[in-house]
Parts: sequence; C-alpha cells; structure tokens
Amino acid sequence: MQKITILFIGLILSFSSFSQTVGDTVIANNAANLKVKVLYFHITDRCNTCRSIEVNVRKTILENFKTQLDSGIVNLYILNCELPANKVIAEKYYAYGSTFAITTYKDGKELTTEDLSNWAFKKAPKQEVFVSELKDKINELLK
Amino acid sequence: MISVKHLKPKFLLIAAAILITSCNSGTKSTDVTQNDSVKITPKDISVVTSNQQDSISNPTDSKNSESTVKTEQSKVLIYNFHVTNRCVSCIAIEEATTKTLNTYFSKEVKEGRIKRQVLNVDDEANKTISEKYQAFGSGLFITRVFKGKETTIDLTGDGFKFAKNKEEKFIEILKTTITNYLK
Repeated sequence: MQKITILFIGLILSFSSFSQTVGDTVIANNAANLKVKVLYFHITDRCNTCRSIEVNVRKTILENFKTQLDSGIVNLYILNCELPANKVIAEKYYAYGSTFAITTYKDGKELTTEDLSNWAFKKAPKQEVFVSELKDKINELLK
Repeated sequence: MISVKHLKPKFLLIAAAILITSCNSGTKSTDVTQNDSVKITPKDISVVTSNQQDSISNPTDSKNSESTVKTEQSKVLIYNFHVTNRCVSCIAIEEATTKTLNTYFSKEVKEGRIKRQVLNVDDEANKTISEKYQAFGSGLFITRVFKGKETTIDLTGDGFKFAKNKEEKFIEILKTTITNYLK
C-alpha cells in the first residue's frame, strides 16, 4: 500500500513538472563537448514572428548541425521564459520576452554570449536568409 | 505774445538741457555697444559650439543664431509597425514608446523634432514605408535625420525582449537611443 502511495505521488509530481515546461525543448547531450549553446526564449502569448524565429532556429540546427547536436558540441534550448521552471536561466540571459542568444563554451566554461534578438526579428520573415546567416554564424563559433 | 527778450534765457536753458541729454545718451549708447560687443563675442562662440554638440536652440540668442541652430538640428522619426492581429508584446512596445515620449520628450514632440507614427503594415496605404524599413510584421525603428542623411536603428528585438515583462529596461534603451539621435 505504501509503495503504491509513493508511486502515485511520484506520478503526480512528474506530471506537474511536465506541465510546467510543456513545449520547451532542451537538447544537451554531453556537457564535456559543448562549444555552442543556442537559446531561444519566448513568452506564452506569442506572435507570428516569434513563432517563425523558433521554426527558423530549429530548421538551422536540425538541418545543419545534427551531428554536433547528437555529440553535445551544440546544444539547443527553446524555452518559455514566463514559466517558473525557467526563471533562473531566463534571468541569466536577461530573457524577459522573445530573446535569441548564442553562448560559446570552452572546456566546460561559458565564454561569451551574443544577443541576436534584433537580428532574429529582422530576418525572421526571410527564412532562407535567416538559416544561411545563422549557419555561418555558428560555423564561425565552432572553429 | 512772448517777446524774444523773455524767450532767450528759456531757450538757452532748454538748448543746454537738450545738449547735455544728447551727450549723456551718446555716452550711454557707446557704453552699451561696448558692453554688447564684449558680451556678444563669447555668446556667439558658445552658440556655434552648442550647434555642434547640442542642437537645442538658446532662446536668448540672436535671430540669426536661432535660424542657424534650427537648420543644424537633427530630427528623430519613430515608427511602430504592427500587423492587424496584434500580440501582447507588440501592444506593449507601442505603449512603452508612448510612455517614453510623454515622460522624457514631450517638448521635442511639441517642437516637431520627434515625429512618431504607429502604422499597420497590412494596410495598403503603408506599403511604401513598410518596404523601406523592411517591416513585415511588428517592428520598432528609430531614424535620425541630419543634414539630409538618415541613420536608422532597429529596436524590434529589444522591444520584444523587454517591453512586456521588463518595461523599465526597454524605456531606458529607447530613451538613450532618442537622446543620442537628438544630438
């Protein structure tokens, strides 16, 4: 009986934590290999441009950096900055609304963060340009 | 009738008074001219300097200086672009822009140095201006017009990042940008 109760509580807790981060994407496979962390934050009530940025970011990473993503060289975070579960990481990157940032790492240490929010909103409607420029940017950082 | 005999001393007295007065006023006007020339020179220099650094005209300057200052002044154009169906962030950007202008730049808005437009990019009438700024959705662009040259900064990303949940930060960014562009 006690075991069932514990299992039940565990199940409820896992469901509640899932609902807090529903829609979020975190692909971080091997911290030791990490070189580039790509982060896109959004709010709950989103506009079309904000959604386009997410689509473009996913497309760039999945179509051009799949190997690096699998090996942990590139990490991808797509998070709702308004969820309590993401409060700490959102504040770290000053993400109070739609925010696109790229952070570089070396030997497990965070080096620099570049905020590309203005760039992302400008390029979002032109997917080809967005993907091409972001791809070049990440390749440059991976060198 | 008054005789010449009676007039003479009176006339002499009046003539002497006129002479003294005109002499005094002459001295006075010379003094003023001298003082003015001393005062005006540094004032003029300061006006020229202020033209280069701060284009806001000094009300005590001469008419010529004012017209020079006015032609040298930069103007700031603010464009809030949006689509017909707006999200909360887009509305927050517009509201925060209004707040910034009302709080810090009401004088410049009244003078016409700052012009702000809220434009729907879905409206055919705004097609040309939207294309000029490559505004296909929500956008915030600040343009500085100085000597016929335009410099534009795109603050759309900052708007979406801060306007809704960190308004004070967005207002600070916008205020700094406008202040720099007014110089």
